[in-house]
Amino acid sequence: MTARIVAIFRRWGLPERLLTVLIVVLVVDFLANSFVLERVNSFELRRDDAERIAENLVLATRTLERTPPAERDLVARTLSTPRFRLTLASPGSPIRGAMSLGNLRSQVVSIAPELGFGDLELHLEGIPDKGNIGGFVRLSDDSVMVFHTHANAAWKLTIGRIVSLVLPTLLLIALGWVLLRATLMPLQQLISASRHLGTGPPQPVPEQGPDELRSLIRALNEMQQRIHQSLVDRTQTMLAIGHDLKTPLARMRLRLDDESIGPEARDGLSKDIEEMRLLLESIQAYVESDGRSMPQERIDLAVMAETLVDTAADHGASATYHGVPSLVVKARPVSIRRALSNLIQNALHYGGNARVTVRREGGAAEIIVDDDGPGIPEDRIADALQPFVRLDAARSRDTAGMGLGLAIVRKAVAAEDGRLDLHNRPTGGLRATITLPLAES
Amino acid sequence: MTAPQTILLVEDDGALRTLTARALRQSGFHVLTAATGAEMWITLRETPVDLIVMDIMLPGTSGLDLFRRLRRESDVPLIFVSARSSEEDRVLGLELGADDYLIKPFSTRELAARVSAVLRRGSNTNENGGDLQADGRAPDTIHFDGWQVSLARRELRTASGAIVDLTGAEFDLLITFLGYPQRVLGRERLMELSRSRIGDSSDRSIDVLVSRLRRKLQADGCEAPIVTVRGVGYMLKADVKRG
Repeated sequence: MTARIVAIFRRWGLPERLLTVLIVVLVVDFLANSFVLERVNSFELRRDDAERIAENLVLATRTLERTPPAERDLVARTLSTPRFRLTLASPGSPIRGAMSLGNLRSQVVSIAPELGFGDLELHLEGIPDKGNIGGFVRLSDDSVMVFHTHANAAWKLTIGRIVSLVLPTLLLIALGWVLLRATLMPLQQLISASRHLGTGPPQPVPEQGPDELRSLIRALNEMQQRIHQSLVDRTQTMLAIGHDLKTPLARMRLRLDDESIGPEARDGLSKDIEEMRLLLESIQAYVESDGRSMPQERIDLAVMAETLVDTAADHGASATYHGVPSLVVKARPVSIRRALSNLIQNALHYGGNARVTVRREGGAAEIIVDDDGPGIPEDRIADALQPFVRLDAARSRDTAGMGLGLAIVRKAVAAEDGRLDLHNRPTGGLRATITLPLAES
Repeated sequence: MTAPQTILLVEDDGALRTLTARALRQSGFHVLTAATGAEMWITLRETPVDLIVMDIMLPGTSGLDLFRRLRRESDVPLIFVSARSSEEDRVLGLELGADDYLIKPFSTRELAARVSAVLRRGSNTNENGGDLQADGRAPDTIHFDGWQVSLARRELRTASGAIVDLTGAEFDLLITFLGYPQRVLGRERLMELSRSRIGDSSDRSIDVLVSRLRRKLQADGCEAPIVTVRGVGYMLKADVKRG
């Protein structure tokens, strides 16, 4: 039964849920008020308490009625005690309390019947400051004597009254909180899921929460699937193009070795084929650079960087290595090697030299590649990391590649939970920094 | 001059097959061709071959599957040809025991150099490679001084399993040292032995290569096992264990 109610509630949308909460609160409010009113009305004091109130009232009424109007205020003050306060109000109809003590009035009147002739009213005070029972007696000349008194037994009523006022509010807060949580929790999951949209295999968000949210989650899950599918398609297409073009390229390369081709044409065409090969490889490298299909291994990052620097220096480049002789991280060797190589090649190509440093920085390994080139305009640094973006429009002709170099680095580093930062050094030149988590030994 | 060595070329693309075969013939090899795995089996049954050059993407069966079957029956050296430069394919191919891996497009010279290198390696494995394993193949792993070398992957690892990168020339030099442990090798001899492995990879003087190799073997914290013998050359003073 409870399960079925919960199930029905789960299917409801936000407006229905909100309405339910409000109705529940209204009903509770109504019931609490009725209950308190009923208890107040049927409330009776112990006989001695009731007698005390009756006596006080009779004495005060008789005294005040015999006092000239001018002195009544003074007399009323004199008659007041901490437990029984008197004031005089102007003739007219005094304010009646909302919580009428009907039974107590009858009790008092039965003790002092003469009070029944006048207009006697008794009520529970809403804000108990001077006493918890209040009331008034209309004097014979139509002026009104207001009184407040304490009755220990009436405190319970006062507490009940306060609870009946506060309870619906507390309930509203509690239910509202639960409702809001139930709505926002799945929303939170949705937000974090959409943040990772398209960065990996789709991870369906569980459908929960109100109706509207469920359809939103379903729509997002479907979108995840579509994005994933289109990424897979794109990857497949790029790989297929790269793959299928290589066979004709291989034929062209071998045809060039025919004796009948002049050396000039052969050299030119060789360069063209080499450039096409590099383009295709950079596409393949970009597609595969997240390296998810390769396992992570322990690699000596410092030796890797040093080896790349040595190789570049052997080919006549101005590349130097500074930093620790050995630093082990856990990563995919192929993609990290390619990332380092891309950074060094970029530094050499755009900056003319490369200074590579590998060091341990806090709990991470840091690889820094500096050059003394012109750097990158500050507003284009974010662009430089995007795939297929080339910053040097004017010089693009003598640069092989498709603007994938840094995009490959970023993807490869991100796959190892690392980071790539580019910034212009204040002294000139660009600094590229890769941060990778260290391998736990 | 010995008789030309026979090479079996397995390639599904007709034009590329013709061109590759021509390139190999020009380099002085005797070439047989096959378009499919089935044709390859027929040829192998009829004629002994010295080396197979195989495209990894064949219609019907994948080159890798074909190769697994081949290895169960024969030890003939094999070079894979692939359009994919994917590292995964390369490592898988080499781990299955392929002798080399050629990526399209390649030039006649590159093809000939790789083929010659593999044939040469095959013929002198027994001379300096030491013991053969039970299956008749040279062992793939060499241990020395806590270090571990994988020949197929051309990889050096520390005792804790971390990969230590070496350039091609450094790796060849290391393999040379490992072939002659506890023996002093002169610079000339080292140069000669290292170069015989792969074409012209060492364009640096032997001294520079040795000092780099030594630095890398120190990276683990202990002293490098390669010592200088003044006026003579260098010596690897570690125990070498194969398999």
